[in-house]
Amino acid sequence: MNRIKVVNGNEAAALAVKMSSPDVIAAYPITPQSQLVEYLGQYVADDELDASMSEVESEHSAMSILQGASLAGGRTFTATSSQGLALMYEPYFRTPTLRLPVVMAIVNREMISPQTVWGGPQDSLTLRDAGWIQIYVESNQEIFDAIVQAFRIAEDEDILLPVNVCYDGFYLSHLTEPIELPPADDVAEFLPPYEPDHILLDPDDVMSVDPLTPGHLLMEYRRRHMEAQQRALQVIPQVDEEYAGLTGRSWGGLTYSYRMQDAEVALVTLGSMTGAARVAVDNLRDEGRKVGLLKIRVLRPFPATEVLCALQDKRAYAVIDRNVSFGWGSGILHTEVRAALSGKNIPSLNYIGGLGGEDLTVQMLQDAINELVQLDCEAVDAPCRWLHNPQRSGDR
Amino acid sequence: MSDLLNEVMQRDDLISPGISACVGCNVELTLRLVMKTLGPQSILAIPPGCMGGVGVVGYGATTGAKVPVFFPLLDNTAPMLSGARLQYEREGRDVNVVAFAGDGATVDAGFGSMSGAAERGDSIIYICYDNEGYMNTGFQRSGSTAKGSWTSTTPVGERLGGKTQHKMDFPMVMAMHDLPYMAAASVAYPQDLVRKVQKAQQVPEGFRYIHVLNPCPNGWGFSAEESIEVARLAVQTAFHPLFEVIDGDFTLDRPVSEPKKVHHYLSRCRKFSHLSEVETEDIQRVVDRRYRRLQALVSGTGSYEAASDG
Ligand code: SF4
Repeated sequence: MNRIKVVNGNEAAALAVKMSSPDVIAAYPITPQSQLVEYLGQYVADDELDASMSEVESEHSAMSILQGASLAGGRTFTATSSQGLALMYEPYFRTPTLRLPVVMAIVNREMISPQTVWGGPQDSLTLRDAGWIQIYVESNQEIFDAIVQAFRIAEDEDILLPVNVCYDGFYLSHLTEPIELPPADDVAEFLPPYEPDHILLDPDDVMSVDPLTPGHLLMEYRRRHMEAQQRALQVIPQVDEEYAGLTGRSWGGLTYSYRMQDAEVALVTLGSMTGAARVAVDNLRDEGRKVGLLKIRVLRPFPATEVLCALQDKRAYAVIDRNVSFGWGSGILHTEVRAALSGKNIPSLNYIGGLGGEDLTVQMLQDAINELVQLDCEAVDAPCRWLHNPQRSGDR
Repeated sequence: MSDLLNEVMQRDDLISPGISACVGCNVELTLRLVMKTLGPQSILAIPPGCMGGVGVVGYGATTGAKVPVFFPLLDNTAPMLSGARLQYEREGRDVNVVAFAGDGATVDAGFGSMSGAAERGDSIIYICYDNEGYMNTGFQRSGSTAKGSWTSTTPVGERLGGKTQHKMDFPMVMAMHDLPYMAAASVAYPQDLVRKVQKAQQVPEGFRYIHVLNPCPNGWGFSAEESIEVARLAVQTAFHPLFEVIDGDFTLDRPVSEPKKVHHYLSRCRKFSHLSEVETEDIQRVVDRRYRRLQALVSGTGSYEAASDG
């Protein structure tokens, strides 16, 4: 029987981890992720979760412990945010390049400076090319579902890559919503035990792990890693579909389209802003505007074909970025989407907003759509625009 | 030769022949002795440093060890082993998880993560081979380099005469972690070394640490055949006293009642050849002070144990 539970995003994540039965969890607390670690600690204390938990002295060690545990054959989980992720970068890059199927939630938070603790996916987006699969979710239900799916994807023998499930700090981590929990037995069946043989530290089966590697072999490792990322473009939708068979919920696999069929212009979103964007689209549809919404759910591997198919027949599109790409004069998602549409001459706008936990309101997104509808088709290289909250722009 | 050493020497060598350490390298000897003592139910972590560089972790599709071996990062040897050990414990397997790390990976970059693993009591055997610097990358200084040492980053010139700070008393730093087993050992005293490694292995759980001083012929400037003698002089001058701490109880092994003057040791290494009498005296003063402190801990904790027993 499915159960309904009202939880915040961190508890949704913790419940998903509990049902996924990891062997080893190592984590270091950081706002806004801390609650998630506390929930997991409580489950272990209450004997509801049979995992070895290590309360480490840094995120660098959290990832390092998971590498050791994964190399010894265990299923592993951790979570972090922003500065913690930055501190973890050294072993972070190494986890996918060792092909270890670690799952890590990233509770997105802005990067310092200026000093901040509020939301924004700048942390994980900046690390998009470090070899992990990255999934960005929009609601607490999707946090739960994506974490369960993440273990399946990561441990798939055609993939064997770590997965980040990224959710917006505070907007999701501390927002309370009802979620539906599948029966634990169903999840156990969906997630068969992890039994690695590709890389293992076992005295009864001696292997040298990561000896000094000359360039020609290193290139072979990189090629195979990139191929595994591309295979994930098939595996992620399959896993989502199978999960939908279990729970009745599909998140669209790589991308999620909303009222896109006959849309003339489209908004492109990532993460929790998608909820507000859906309302903005509905409001403008009520006014007769033909507008749709494309949510990028998986950023790595990048679903270039899906993005191309979704947007190639549109008159124009706008990408909303809650992040910046220094040196491009735009947001990261915009450059990614533009790259996927590089053969097409479709005008696009880029909006940057919601940084450092600022609100991205329905009104802002409606204004963006209205601007898009009136866009002069010659203005392809329009610079990015900033979504400021007028009430707050007087703050000093 | 002690019975134990005799017996250990008969065991399989778990490190491949033909690794490319320098002639006279006593770190290679230390590693072979350590692994013979611990045996094949072990996994071995060797972070970047001399023993990684000379091929113990292998090259390409080859390996340099007969146990599972891997390259942790310079700064995460201990927690990687902690994780592996946690998983083995879940599976009910008793595997020695062993770090063999240089002083750069231990005293400098890896200290935070190692100290964390020690505080948590993770069940690791951590052996630091202290050759006083980053020797495989061309002899740069570390926090464990002795004062006055010439290194490639603390050169000797008109204005400066080698490293300006004293060697960190790292064995004492680890002693203060209150570990179930901690020792300072020397390759010049192999029976003592082997006994300590075996003792560390016999402690059923918790973080176990052994600090071995390994004078480096290539980087310190002495000839290959002096390798063991220089290591022995470090002990005889009390520059590197051999001691053991078990659950807070300090013991001096081979106590040196009248240590030789430290210049007998320093004068054997070219890296100290520029030292003036005053500079040598300064090192002597610190060696004496540290040795007195160690002696005080030995008598102090011994009586503490006696008092609590009574
Ligand atoms: S540099 Fe020194 S410690 Fe390193 S392999 Fe050579 S002799 Fe041994």
